Amino acid sequence: MDSRDTILKKLKANKPEFIALPKINLDIFDENIDMVKEFIRKVEVAGGKVFEVTDNKEVLSKTQEAFPDTKVNFTNLDDSGFFNTIDYETLKNPHKLNDLDVLVLESTLGVAENGAVWLTDNDIPVRVIPFITKHLVLVLPKENIVPYMHQAYNALDPEVLDYGIFISGPSKTADIEQSLVIGAQGAMSMTVFLV
Amino acid sequence: MKVGLFIPCYINQLYPQVGKATLELLEKLKVEVVYPSGQTCCGQPMANSGFENESEGACINFVNNFKDFDYIVTPSGSCAYHVKKHYNIIQQTDEVVKVRKNVYELCDFIVNVLKVKQLGASFPYKVGVHKSCHGLRGLRLGSSSELVTAPYSYIEALLKEVKGIELMTLDRSDECCGFGGTFAVTEDVVSAKMGKDKIQDHLRNGVEVITATDVSCLMHLEGLITRNKQPLQVRHIAEILNSTIESKVAHPKGQKH
Amino acid sequence: MSHSKLAGIFNKDEKKVDWHDKALWFVRHKRDLSVHEVKGWEELRNLGHGIKAHTLSHLDVYLEQFEANALKNGVQVHWAANGDEHNQIVHGILKENHAKKVVKSKSMLTEECHLNPFLEANDIEVIDTDLGERIVQLAKEQPSHIVLPAIHKNKLEVDELFQEHLGTKPCNGDPQYLTGEARKHLREKFIHADAAITGVNFAIAENGGFVVCTNEGNADMGAHLAAVHIACMGVEKIIPKQEHLGVFLRLLARSATGQPITTYSSHFRKPRKDTKMHIVIVDNGRSEQLSRPDFRASLHCIRCGACMNTCPIYRRSGGHSYDATIPGPIGSILSPGKDLTKYSTLPFASTLCGSCSDVCPVKIDIHTQLYKWRQIIGKETPQPFIKKKSMAAMGKIFSKPSLYGKVGAVAHWALRTLPKSLINSWPNIWGKTRDLPVGHKQSFDQWYKERENNKKDDQK
Repeated sequence: MDSRDTILKKLKANKPEFIALPKINLDIFDENIDMVKEFIRKVEVAGGKVFEVTDNKEVLSKTQEAFPDTKVNFTNLDDSGFFNTIDYETLKNPHKLNDLDVLVLESTLGVAENGAVWLTDNDIPVRVIPFITKHLVLVLPKENIVPYMHQAYNALDPEVLDYGIFISGPSKTADIEQSLVIGAQGAMSMTVFLV
Repeated sequence: MKVGLFIPCYINQLYPQVGKATLELLEKLKVEVVYPSGQTCCGQPMANSGFENESEGACINFVNNFKDFDYIVTPSGSCAYHVKKHYNIIQQTDEVVKVRKNVYELCDFIVNVLKVKQLGASFPYKVGVHKSCHGLRGLRLGSSSELVTAPYSYIEALLKEVKGIELMTLDRSDECCGFGGTFAVTEDVVSAKMGKDKIQDHLRNGVEVITATDVSCLMHLEGLITRNKQPLQVRHIAEILNSTIESKVAHPKGQKH
Repeated sequence: MSHSKLAGIFNKDEKKVDWHDKALWFVRHKRDLSVHEVKGWEELRNLGHGIKAHTLSHLDVYLEQFEANALKNGVQVHWAANGDEHNQIVHGILKENHAKKVVKSKSMLTEECHLNPFLEANDIEVIDTDLGERIVQLAKEQPSHIVLPAIHKNKLEVDELFQEHLGTKPCNGDPQYLTGEARKHLREKFIHADAAITGVNFAIAENGGFVVCTNEGNADMGAHLAAVHIACMGVEKIIPKQEHLGVFLRLLARSATGQPITTYSSHFRKPRKDTKMHIVIVDNGRSEQLSRPDFRASLHCIRCGACMNTCPIYRRSGGHSYDATIPGPIGSILSPGKDLTKYSTLPFASTLCGSCSDVCPVKIDIHTQLYKWRQIIGKETPQPFIKKKSMAAMGKIFSKPSLYGKVGAVAHWALRTLPKSLINSWPNIWGKTRDLPVGHKQSFDQWYKERENNKKDDQK
């Protein structure tokens, strides 16, 4: 018998009698929060910045204002030819992308309670680039903010996901004497534009 | 209502004044109290050391002494908790079940059975409450800082009614003092360090007298305070609730045991 | 060495103990602030507990479901009965892919299996990419905390370590500079890695996916650049459905550091194009722990480290005093299940204060399990003769009131009569740091009897 069967057999023999799965009653957690306000607060606590804008055009102009001297920029927003300094083909070779400065991506889901923004393979041209880029800029429609993680997962079909990630703020660490340092292995800054 | 008084072994021998205060306090509250002479120990020292089986005789003796009372009251959260939580090792006869159900720590009994808070005590000192762990997290005599619940404390509810008392706030409201029974000896270094830190918290916050529901914690803290000659006193909560000191003197009554 | 001995060594430097205690207490404090903001926190803990308890009661079924779904997703699934087999499997995958350079994000399981030394002995470079883990790896030490692996090291030690291994300039321990240098160093490692190993925080039975949580982004940097991603998980990491992540991700980071969520919560389900993804499912004693009704709830653990931060002993004895992969209260109930004799002092490294059980996001009754391990250790491991005899003697004395009275009187007399210097200088450990209470003329017992007699006399 191989290990797979041995392990499964042991687990089956050793497990307790069946215990029912508890139901999640969302009413317990509901507290009528102002979701946009709470989202902004939590992104800021996580070390990120939030701006409210009217459209994607404003996103890119504000991004250029915020990062005026960057050389390597990419976004997959529509009509963004003027913004991109590299093309999708270059992104496909991420091992040579260490100098990616600004990356602007669109998200379809944000969570108020923790300022997390959801991205999937559909939103990210190449999985590693939100981590390689120095500055990560995310665009999120206000109406797509949900209050808690429960509602976020209710909005996500478990069957369609290939890869997805909640990102809350820039990469960080406190591993040296508990001093918080922004910019560990991933992005050094994170900005969210609410449209 | 007939109440059996349980006086833990170390109080009986080392802190008899706590037993006296407890008895006097209950009598003041018009409770009929009997102190059964055959009592010894709840069995906790053996059980916490990993020798629960050696404590069976003590458990049985405890039940035999207290089975006929409506309530069993003790000035120790730790002993009450032990009886409630760990007396599952002996056969669960009706008597055992009854004893486990009716054993109360003193403050718990006063607040929740007698339902009184104003005891007519006075104690004009700055007091720091040490929330002994077994009382706090075992018997739930108050809300613990880890849980998200409405804050409450039976001990503080009683102390707040004491005339002249000033309850001081600590930096760490309910961290363990480091006594822990045999832990105090098997892990003596960490135990002493915990006690030392606890005492510093009280000193930093202007406490003159540390009180607790358990003499065991206080014995540990007092041992360190005396050794290090620190300006602090310890009093069991029964001594404060039974106190009639009206005006402050340099050394609260009972300092010399 | 026993926990108390190792704790004694840690306590030789009291300033360091104070720093360690305060740093971890601050993390606990941040946790408190964070959880008090969550409406229904206690209910969330109940759900966490309930979902885990349910999952364990159905574990084999969920694992099979997970495996089937992972296979459908194009992921290869392996099973390891123990640490050795786990290491062999990982090595086999690396060999097959000609992988010589590996980057690894935090995984307590691979620590438990001692994967790094095994791979290094097989001529494979393994780089821990979590900054704290990289620090302890360079120092050739073990993590002392599961969330804050290098919490036992101060910044000057890190400074020196980086000067030696990464060629950094002396900087008086500037965390910003040191982290920046580590970032550059690790970027190189990420870019040249042949394979990436990650742990697994949660594996989802219903869709074969798994979630990895980091703050640094190191798991993603590794997994998305290397051609091979190997994720190693203990059997207990399974949860039934994706929606249950809603409960666990709300609990995890708040309990760990006070953050409402980790910076990155990565959901892996299918490998990216032209790359491979492997999952290694490991038992290594877990099925045995599952067989123990009193201790199986220890498998609920989501590795947040809150019990360590809150534990007054852990904070003052340091993670290394537990001499186990998982230190602190949770480690003290897991480790005896693996080697009762070796870890027999760990369940006694506690005052049973219960703070660990109250802080635990999945409501593991940690301090009750510590108490229960003590009973098993008392029976099944060799105990010092003196301890055994004194326990038996105490048991006898306390079961017979007549004996109790006599012994008490003697002790009493000694405390009252003998000089303090003699009492405290007895070879007693209590007296090393503490005075004994002053003896009284009368025990309560004697006083009460006298009072009752006086009452009778009065009535006469």
